[in-house]
Amino acid sequence: MTTELHPQTTPEVGGMGHSVKRKEDPRFIQGKGEYIEDVNLPGQLWLDIVRSPYAHAKIKSIDATEALKIPGVAAVVTGKDLEGYKLHWMPTLAGDMQMVLPVDTVMYQSQEVAAVIATSRYAAADGVAAVEVDYEPLPVVVDPKKALQPDAPVLRTDRGPDKQTNHIWHWESGDAAAADEALANADVRIAEDIYIPRIHVASIETCGIVADWNPIRQQLTMHLTTQAPHAIRTVVALVAAGAGLPIYEHNIRVKTHDIGGGFGGKVPVYPGYVLAVAASFLTGKPVKWIEDRSENLQADSFARDYHIHAEMGATKDGKIQALKVRTIADHGYTDAAADPSKFPAGLFNVITGSYDFPNAFVEVDGVYTNKPPGGVAYRCSFRVTEAVHAIERMVDILAHDIGKDPAQLRMENFIQPEQFPYHTPTGWEYDSGDYPKALQKALDLIGYDELRKEQAEKRARGELMGIGISSFTEIVGAGPSHDFDILGLKMFDSCEIRVHPTGKVLARLGVQSQGQGHETTFAQIIAEELGFPVADIKIEEGDTDTAPYGLGTYASRSTPVAGAATAIAARKIKEKARLLAAHLLEASPDDLEWTNGRWSVKGSPDRFKTIQEIAFAAYTNHPQGMEAGLEAVDYYDPPNLTFPFGSYIAVVDIDKGTGEVTVRRFVAVDDCGNIINPMIVDGQIHGGLTMGLAPALYEQITYDELGNNLAGTFMDYLLPTAVETPAWELEKTITPSPHHPIGAKGVGESATVGAPPAIANAVVDALWHLGVRNIDIPITPPKVWRILHDKGIS
Amino acid sequence: MQFQGTVQIDAPRDKVWAFLLDPNQVGSCGPGVESIEVIDEDHFRAKAKVGVGFISARFTVDMTMAEKTPPDLAVLKAHGQAPGSAVDATARMELSGPDAGPTQMDWSADVAISGTLASVGARMIEGTANKMIGQTFDCIRSKLAGA
Repeated sequence: MTTELHPQTTPEVGGMGHSVKRKEDPRFIQGKGEYIEDVNLPGQLWLDIVRSPYAHAKIKSIDATEALKIPGVAAVVTGKDLEGYKLHWMPTLAGDMQMVLPVDTVMYQSQEVAAVIATSRYAAADGVAAVEVDYEPLPVVVDPKKALQPDAPVLRTDRGPDKQTNHIWHWESGDAAAADEALANADVRIAEDIYIPRIHVASIETCGIVADWNPIRQQLTMHLTTQAPHAIRTVVALVAAGAGLPIYEHNIRVKTHDIGGGFGGKVPVYPGYVLAVAASFLTGKPVKWIEDRSENLQADSFARDYHIHAEMGATKDGKIQALKVRTIADHGYTDAAADPSKFPAGLFNVITGSYDFPNAFVEVDGVYTNKPPGGVAYRCSFRVTEAVHAIERMVDILAHDIGKDPAQLRMENFIQPEQFPYHTPTGWEYDSGDYPKALQKALDLIGYDELRKEQAEKRARGELMGIGISSFTEIVGAGPSHDFDILGLKMFDSCEIRVHPTGKVLARLGVQSQGQGHETTFAQIIAEELGFPVADIKIEEGDTDTAPYGLGTYASRSTPVAGAATAIAARKIKEKARLLAAHLLEASPDDLEWTNGRWSVKGSPDRFKTIQEIAFAAYTNHPQGMEAGLEAVDYYDPPNLTFPFGSYIAVVDIDKGTGEVTVRRFVAVDDCGNIINPMIVDGQIHGGLTMGLAPALYEQITYDELGNNLAGTFMDYLLPTAVETPAWELEKTITPSPHHPIGAKGVGESATVGAPPAIANAVVDALWHLGVRNIDIPITPPKVWRILHDKGIS
Repeated sequence: MQFQGTVQIDAPRDKVWAFLLDPNQVGSCGPGVESIEVIDEDHFRAKAKVGVGFISARFTVDMTMAEKTPPDLAVLKAHGQAPGSAVDATARMELSGPDAGPTQMDWSADVAISGTLASVGARMIEGTANKMIGQTFDCIRSKLAGA
């Protein structure tokens, strides 16, 4: 990265702008990370799950006789057993209901049907194979559009008499009449159906729990794969209260240990967690449940699955006038999305993107089908990926339709730097941005004009090469408490800093790293604010008994929210340090100034106290009347979200014989405001780009007409490896967030959000002259080959 | 999944009919069949081990003779379960040709496979099923021809 950064601290201190090596990496690269699978407690039992072969069926009977004969099998738990405790259903984070175990009907293939508890993993698996379940198959609804037809079977008959439909909710944003009128008056009007397929986060660590109910202490410890430990604790306490169980929130402790990838998939509560807790409560022993890879791919919550119909209007020279978007969201059999409660379709209404739309209207309908719960915000701030893909595809189609270069059309329609803070027609206030600068940087870096010449020459020779642009705007950092909550919990976050007498620091946060490098970046914020070297700062997360309450890590909210809390808690400490320094220097606090980790007397730079000296004094020599110690906590309620952005350009070559797409080059210019650790930001972008390449070309969960998941292993669910991944070329622009204490924005998800449309646009660009307007992702070789074959090209 | 085909069997029609309607006889030709239990004239239960690729499962299959017009037409319904997988099928067979043989059998099967076998074995199921059907008819033909 060549962007000029100007760190204010020395490399030894390692504040913002330094590529400090990750403090967590020594244990990871030595294989000494500790994951839930590594937790083994004395007397521990194992839990394994009987799953349904049918996507929709009545359960006629469950016979555990043979299973219970297997040595080591202690118990078999069914929905009827849980019904006695009112634990057979549980609330989802979206306020819908999800079965822990079904009493009479299964709703998707691989749904939990019964749990076997045994003294070993092997005995539990043998027990699962021996449980006999008699099913009566029912009609299966796989297609969400068919689910809305009047003759479709109603899947969720458990809902009230006025809700006997597969339609879950309707949500809309913007001005429909104004958008209609502008579309009617537009010179050019385009429309396209765009499907964003169902995909899976496929984190390398699957989900799991060791539930440890101690009947003597009446304490429940959950060693758990979760991105939101405190929220889970509260949900468990509420469910326990509903079930009349004596498990109270002060006696519930959630510990996450290290987490091997989250990406949104470890936000929901899964039935396996509840079953393990129930089993531990019933047996008084620790109970472990770790799902296997196929269970993870088939039964855990999914992402995307948006069927989008978009219409756009523009003047004949390409000035965009209006956007109208209608979407069907396939949620599976329950809405288990972790969206903020006012936003059932997440932040999808950021769909006007980086463009100055005078008019826009967007509506989304959530639908039930016989699939596992969907709606996970896979490395994406609540449906932004879907929105960005749609708008970036539409802008490209418009450019091609009117014969204007896609880069030029974007430049002419961008929200301009002087328009910020910018109010979108769907209600957001973008904080800051400079979109032309980022796109120009990307165009220069990739050599855009030369590439267009090369493309023209190759096309004349019959070769297929395409160039695709994506100039995305992300919306991250949920969120301001007036609008953002999950199950009523406001989406603030927190940091507590304790400075020890010897000048060493312990900071605890309400968020939860899953590999993002929190132990390093949050230490750098404290180093920046207080001058303690990063090496002297320990960051702790993931223990609800010690960390302050927070809503967790997802939707790129850690830096925008908890990072802000960290800076402000540090500033509180700095203010107390000023009073202590004034006492030590026998000066007035107002006469002191802060530079490089020390308070000094203005005009007398030799008279100073370092932050370490001040810390010692806080415990050994504090003035009478002042509280001892040097600690602060902050619960940060952001005034707005942050809006990182960027421009990506992909160059693809297409093999005419096989239809295979090769991404030859990929330039990513990102702007995430002020940068804490450039190396970690680049790492986040590398990972995000690879997770954007994946759905663009490879990944999709499909179902057959019986609702069987056809991507239940890594043989069928194709993760890209280093072989398929191009060498990413990264650059930055820096446009600080005006409202964030350190001017930072989130970055973890920008690349996942921005990359797919750049690749899809490049492929369509390569094929446009053949009459191709859109290809839904993943753009697999068979899809492209079929198009070429139909056009007589080989 | 739909399967269908026509088989020529070099045997008189009543012999073919009797063979096909005898669960023990026809069952001996099913690949992987481990046991056949005759519950009554029209209800049978078989245990069979089925392998698709690296997935293998021991199915318990309940069969019901749904329709029977000797010696021409029979319809069999089957419901089989294995841990994590299930199969529901309707098979129809129609015999024709001179009474003394050779006998022509037109058969069709509508098979719904659910669970792990469908999910993980999807790309291999059709090939495996065709192979198993082929083996079954080869066996029937050779047993009847030798009779």
